[in-house]
Amino acid sequence: MFSKYPRTLLAFLLVAILAFALAPAQAQDAVEIVIWHMEQPPQRVERVQGLIDEFNAANPGIVVSQDVQSWGEIYTKAPASVVAGNAPDILFAIPDFTPIIRELGAVQAVDDFVAEIDETHGYLDVGIEPYTSDGQVWAIPLWNMAHAIWYNVDDLEEAGIEEPTTWDEWASAVEALTGEGRYGIGLPANRNLYTDQVVYNFMINAGASALYNDDGSLRFNNEQTVRALDFYSQLSQYSPPDSPSWAWGEAEVCLGSGTCAMVNQFAFLRSYEANGGDPANLGVMPMPVDEGVEDPGTISYVNAAMILTDDAAKQEAAYEFLRFIFQPENYGLFLNMEPGLFLPITESGFESESYWSDPLVVKYREQLETVLDYSRSGRLFGFTGGQTFPSIARISAQNLLSQVGQLVVVDGMGATEAAEEGEYLMMEAIE
Amino acid sequence: MNEGKRGRAVRYLLVILVMFFIIAPFYWIYSSSLKVSTEIVAQSPTLFPESITFGHYANLLSSSDYPIYLTNSAIVSFATMVITVVLSTSAAYGLYRLPFPGRKTIYRLILLAYIFPGSLLLIPLYVMLSRLNLLDTQLALVIINVTFAAPFSVWLLKAFFASIPFELEEAASLDGASWLQTLLLVVLPLASPGVASVAIFAFITSWTEYMFASVLIISDANRTLPVGLAGIIGQYVIDWGLLLAGAGATTLPIILLFVLIGRFFVNGLLEGGVKA
Repeated sequence: MFSKYPRTLLAFLLVAILAFALAPAQAQDAVEIVIWHMEQPPQRVERVQGLIDEFNAANPGIVVSQDVQSWGEIYTKAPASVVAGNAPDILFAIPDFTPIIRELGAVQAVDDFVAEIDETHGYLDVGIEPYTSDGQVWAIPLWNMAHAIWYNVDDLEEAGIEEPTTWDEWASAVEALTGEGRYGIGLPANRNLYTDQVVYNFMINAGASALYNDDGSLRFNNEQTVRALDFYSQLSQYSPPDSPSWAWGEAEVCLGSGTCAMVNQFAFLRSYEANGGDPANLGVMPMPVDEGVEDPGTISYVNAAMILTDDAAKQEAAYEFLRFIFQPENYGLFLNMEPGLFLPITESGFESESYWSDPLVVKYREQLETVLDYSRSGRLFGFTGGQTFPSIARISAQNLLSQVGQLVVVDGMGATEAAEEGEYLMMEAIE
Repeated sequence: MNEGKRGRAVRYLLVILVMFFIIAPFYWIYSSSLKVSTEIVAQSPTLFPESITFGHYANLLSSSDYPIYLTNSAIVSFATMVITVVLSTSAAYGLYRLPFPGRKTIYRLILLAYIFPGSLLLIPLYVMLSRLNLLDTQLALVIINVTFAAPFSVWLLKAFFASIPFELEEAASLDGASWLQTLLLVVLPLASPGVASVAIFAFITSWTEYMFASVLIISDANRTLPVGLAGIIGQYVIDWGLLLAGAGATTLPIILLFVLIGRFFVNGLLEGGVKA
């Protein structure tokens, strides 16, 4: 009877020792993946963490963690981290950020993995192009963001105005909507990314999408750009006097408060809803197009993930995590960390139930369907025509498009002169 | 008599006008942070909240790491303040009270620390601190903040130290006091307004520092208030109520600090300017 106890005790001890010895070995074997992303608002961090927790629980051999950074500092911080040797394994990116990190030799080509996701989930045509350069793909597209014209339905109905489709109709509508404390449109003219985006929208819909010729020389100063700048300046007369200092938030408030009849913006459903907006009064449409333009569209930012680690095991672990994110039941949750703003970049994402079941998405489904459809015509300056010229990073970093916008709206310069000046500024920036 | 009254009235008017410009932004932040979201973005702004809500503050506390950011800012700012005071008073005493060769040259060179724009130093400092394993630590921020606060503090203390008669030190020396005892028991009490000014200056510099904190800190757990607050605002989609609550809660500690000991700072700066 007593002799049984020491044996049981011994067995228990052995099991305990083995378990103790094995536990650190397992922890040591686990591949650690650090993600840096720039989605700082608390609900986005929480949503990403939820997905990470679920992945880590299902994959004991991989430990993923997130460190949240800011877009304001990442252009300094990421290169510094590469130089210091402590860069993250996965770094989120937008197209003009990738060339900067690529120049440091830190970005891994991801052609095979992107092809795999494309085959499984079907990337939209606009997805891969901005990250293709020198015949290789340098980041994994994760989601899209697209501008559209947002308007107050009541304002247009009361004025008896249909959604304009041409620039002539648009100019008449904006003029008619201005008055009695209301501005027909809210257009920024600040030297920032928002104005870059709006100016580029005018350029796209004037037929001036391409900033470069095929040989890499600049083609900013052309007839279509002049037309775009001229029309942007013309409509800016019907914009609030403080709009030259705007960023995205002010435009959204201008529309939500009824001060502006329309604005050119990304989808801002969460704050529109929080500010008491009425879904039935929120209209959205593509930007009207100049006469004769055959390939209209909108600016879109395909956000992506760069793989920085050169360790094969870490790369495979990173891919495994991204495969998990792209699964339709997770992908919708991932995108809806900011409902409406982050749009699917895969066909399976368009059909994902997890995407369409978010309460805010349900409420604004009609608007989102318009934006999603419009996002298929998205493009970004410097990343058109199947070619990417890394020098666009310098044009973008200095917000030169918005500077040209300021020349016509704030400084009162003529569109022809401003286009000439803009090309000169761009050449200076890239030389 | 009439002229005297008129002069006083003009002075009061000017004071009220200046106070208005100082207080108005704070009033706008705090009153708006108590408004419901629809009222914040209403076409016609309201001077007083129509219905008061603490929802934005509750949201700030529940959905963000505000308490962690606040604690980190308090630790970094307090440590910066203490170290800056110790270093700058010691340095100022040495520079302005103890004769040694090259003293004047060092005094003139001390403000050279401000010649380089901070942004130029970002990447070298990042790499240096990374090699020292200090990246993403509060210690890194303390070192940087002290580096930038101390030179001006030493310069600020000059006027205070220069105004203290040397005879007092000689008397202390005759009584057998060491240089350290002289500094602590004789010089510092007489220069206390200056020391208080340096303390507040170092604290505020550290509390509001953004650039280095945003680059040298990587994890949310070590983030300070200005950087943490910037993060919760968002870029394309802005929660104005949360932003206002964050702005109010960030400035409140500094306002309280100024209410309690601000007069030392003002006196210190004024005396520093006059005595030099």
